[in-house]
Amino acid sequence: MATEDKNILNRLYIIAGCMFVFAFAVAFKLMNIQFVEGEKYRDLAQRNTTKNFEIPANRGNVYADDGSLLATSVPKYEIRFDAVTVSSEDFKEHLVPLSKELSKMFGRSASYYQQRFRKARADKNRYLLVAKNLGYSEYIKVKSFPLFNKGPYRGGFIMDQHTVREHPMGKIGERLVGSQNKNEPGVYEVGFEGAFNQYLQGKNGRRLKQKIAKGQWKPVSDNNEIEPQDGYDVISTINVNIQDIAHHALLKQMEYYEAEHGSVIVMEVKTGEIKAVSNLGRTKQGTYYEKLNYAVGESHEPGSTFKVMAFMAALEDKVIDTSTVIDTQNGTKRFYGRSITDSRRGGYGEISAAKTLEVSSNIGLATIIDEAYAKKPQKFIDRLNSWNLNSKIGIPILGEGKPMIPGPGHENWSKNALPSIAYGYNLSLTPLQTLAFYNAIANDGVMVKPRFIKEIRKWNQEVETFETEVINEKICSDETLRQIQDILLNIVKRGTGERLYSEYFSMAGKTGTARTEYWLPGWEKDRKYISSFAGYFPAENPKYSCIVVIHKPSTKKGYYGADVTGPVFKRIAQKIFTDSPRIAEIDEVDRVDEAFASDFENYYNEVQKTGTAVPDVSGMAGMDAVSLLENMGMRVEIKGNGTVASQSIEPGAAFRKRQIIQLMLK
Amino acid sequence: MTGNRGFVKLDWLTIFLYFALVGIGWINIYSASLDDSATSFFDFSQVYFKQLVWICLSLVLIIFILAIEAKFYERFSSIIYLVSLASLLGLFVLGKNINGATSWYVLGGFSIQPAEFAKAATALALGKYIGDMQTNIKEFKHQLRAFVIIALPALFIIPQPDPGSALVYAAFIFPMYREGLHYVYLLLGFFLAALFISTLAFGVVWVSVGILAITALIYFKNRKKKKTKAVNYIMAAAVCIAFVFSVQYIFNNVFEQRHRDRFNIVLGKETDSKGIGYNTNQSEIAIGSGGWTGKGWTQGTQTKGNFVPEQQTDYIFSTVGEEWGFLGSMVVVILFLALIVRVLVLAERQKNQFGRVYGYSVGAILFVHFFVNIGMTTGLLPTVGIPLPFFSYGGSGLWGFTILLFILIRLDASNSYYT
Repeated sequence: MATEDKNILNRLYIIAGCMFVFAFAVAFKLMNIQFVEGEKYRDLAQRNTTKNFEIPANRGNVYADDGSLLATSVPKYEIRFDAVTVSSEDFKEHLVPLSKELSKMFGRSASYYQQRFRKARADKNRYLLVAKNLGYSEYIKVKSFPLFNKGPYRGGFIMDQHTVREHPMGKIGERLVGSQNKNEPGVYEVGFEGAFNQYLQGKNGRRLKQKIAKGQWKPVSDNNEIEPQDGYDVISTINVNIQDIAHHALLKQMEYYEAEHGSVIVMEVKTGEIKAVSNLGRTKQGTYYEKLNYAVGESHEPGSTFKVMAFMAALEDKVIDTSTVIDTQNGTKRFYGRSITDSRRGGYGEISAAKTLEVSSNIGLATIIDEAYAKKPQKFIDRLNSWNLNSKIGIPILGEGKPMIPGPGHENWSKNALPSIAYGYNLSLTPLQTLAFYNAIANDGVMVKPRFIKEIRKWNQEVETFETEVINEKICSDETLRQIQDILLNIVKRGTGERLYSEYFSMAGKTGTARTEYWLPGWEKDRKYISSFAGYFPAENPKYSCIVVIHKPSTKKGYYGADVTGPVFKRIAQKIFTDSPRIAEIDEVDRVDEAFASDFENYYNEVQKTGTAVPDVSGMAGMDAVSLLENMGMRVEIKGNGTVASQSIEPGAAFRKRQIIQLMLK
Repeated sequence: MTGNRGFVKLDWLTIFLYFALVGIGWINIYSASLDDSATSFFDFSQVYFKQLVWICLSLVLIIFILAIEAKFYERFSSIIYLVSLASLLGLFVLGKNINGATSWYVLGGFSIQPAEFAKAATALALGKYIGDMQTNIKEFKHQLRAFVIIALPALFIIPQPDPGSALVYAAFIFPMYREGLHYVYLLLGFFLAALFISTLAFGVVWVSVGILAITALIYFKNRKKKKTKAVNYIMAAAVCIAFVFSVQYIFNNVFEQRHRDRFNIVLGKETDSKGIGYNTNQSEIAIGSGGWTGKGWTQGTQTKGNFVPEQQTDYIFSTVGEEWGFLGSMVVVILFLALIVRVLVLAERQKNQFGRVYGYSVGAILFVHFFVNIGMTTGLLPTVGIPLPFFSYGGSGLWGFTILLFILIRLDASNSYYT
């Protein structure tokens, strides 16, 4: 019995053992598949069978303030030719007509195309580029050409579609609108495209597809795994007209002065909406194009336009009055071992404080500020800081330049710093930052944040609207404000900007002529300036503020702000006002032309009588008669023009379909 | 009432393993059959919902099986077996051809596959026969009768054609071996299988040469012993070589091309992944791409892409492999092994031979299904279309295995009553 039991037990173990051996084989195989060869299978799973396809979301459009398009995505088509798939009969038969059609459309000779196709066939090229960057209608046309109309397999016609970003405004404002990174398509960083990318880009969708044949993918399910969400449209504050005016005004002046680069910003006073930003840089060939966003990104020594800030600080701190007499001496004055000179030889002598600003006396401003603040320079700096001049505005566009106004303790601070700052040196600001301050003067002391975006829309639905942001409720007292406004007006009337004065419209502003690169050797021989003009118009009830900055104009032609940048400002101001149509209300037009009405009635009555008889069309307008008769099924031949004088088939006669009737018109 | 007392004695571990497998199986069927066409979860046209209904119905079935007294199964096993044989034969007249095999009865909206129930019937009949006092399995006559009991349903199933299901009947060699069948049968079985495979793998000539070499080796080693006669060795070698040639002949002339292809792929002779080996290849890709922890439930790209044919049924394990990875696959493998071991333990503790034979049959059938199915999905074995117990979609299969297992549980529960 014991041996029996042992025998049985052995049998049990053998059975269980067999099973475990087999089970182990299964586990081993599993391990083999999932680890040893796992990489291979994962790769196969990925590559050979299914793939997640990104469904690109449609990028939103960028619009100007009036709804005109600044940037939009359009499909572009690339036509390629598979020279192998086409049968030799088809190839022979259609080669010449196809080449002719292509030649007609794209301008190259037909033999050029013939040769290309022949070579491609000899080389077994299956992806010969025929044409690229075609619009939809062009693509449709090419698709209908001989051979191509046979489709991808018999005709070798291959189409690749891609989306490109187009700027209907062309080069104007290109920098501001922005574009995609040239090295990384689909990456938008600069300008509006970059700034509002989060709104514009939308969300890409995803669709799982499985491979069914060479290069062909079938969606796995009816629905997308993730639906793409189209990007929102961005309505910018840019005004196409003003942008155009600003661009051309700047371009004209840049070309004349052969300047290195320059920019213009136009801002709406009340709202802070930026209406135009133009940036032009000079190429080696001497032409200009939108190179970099200088208006926003370039922080530089502002020069005389900054005198206004310094002067206002002194006024606001009541250390001077507009009538305080300032001795500007004979055009040269030494401050802490360094001379400051005025542009007028011999100087201005003793003048009122207001006058120092009107004539833009460096000595005058340096004297005012140095006398008032030399002992407590921090107070002056604090005042400037309270106007947010030393901080970025915080606009969404990438690369806003950082302003720099040194205070005591700053590495750029010295005894000479204070008088230097007074007339716009030893500090730096971007044009936009300067403009924001001038805009506050125009806006009765309310400093608003410059903004570029009005609204985010999805189709016609508002998603988000942007309100004017106030940076500083009141930059100074009304008294100071009134005084500085008067001075800015006077600068144009009788000061440095008097050449800009026009009796037809008023503007106020400050010229600026700053030396630049004076720290480089040889400056005396080849002087370089930054010419600028900042101000607003109309002076009495300011609507727009504007700054024009032109770097390194050719000194042979001039470099003063009044000469170089002032005219740009003036032209913009002038044009905006002459171009802005006054809206004439016209009463609703509801007059009825009697002759027209009777003609119509006549025609209508005849139409009602359609039947099998030829109607009487005599006296009817030719156009009406043709339409009436052809609608009845007749063929009309006409001679002459005007109204019907006679008809070849008498009224009331029976007619057949497609019977020809001749009409004499007079 | 014996039934009520028996209920308390139910082997809850087996029941737990059963429900674990059925539950995990359903989760994978859900994932494999999920597509966009489902309007809601309760969509009767969806495979996963149908399977859920089957699972719920099998609860009723379980209660029914357990409610019947244990003695019934032994007493009526012959009748059950005959009814089962009749149902297989009836297919030739009333059967409906689905996917090329006449294996189903279609009644209204349901289709029933009698082969799935025949396994349990055969196990009962074999238990009854071997358990009979008159039967001695060590006698050739009785072995032959037992063999007939096993072979009859298999013979009826083969021409459906459903060779996979017929193959499962080979499992009955285990209970017979347990009851005293000489181990030579077992060895012979393995030996013939080995010869079969090596013939296909290496060709007739090499295998014959190998047989002669091994025979010669054994002969020269044993020739000094008394009983050794060269004639016997030559005879044995000749029989083996004849077998090898007949394998070659059968393979080339009896097998259909698709069967040949299946073997050739597993043997590495052909690797066309797009054609004949497509199923296995896709299944391997699915499993292989799962890695350690898988892609997550309903996240399998291969599963979602419907690359693996028959994924809800025979290839359900590829969903496990892809979505739950190696860990999930091993959990399933271990659950199966645990169930099978538990079934063998139950079988071994049966107090009568009928119960023990039946229990071993259950364990062996489950094991063959488990091994052949997973072997097939992982490319270890040729494509043999048999379901993975409790996992694969299909009401007949689920019910067949449920009946098979719960009769054993019922028998086991009544053991305490006998003592």
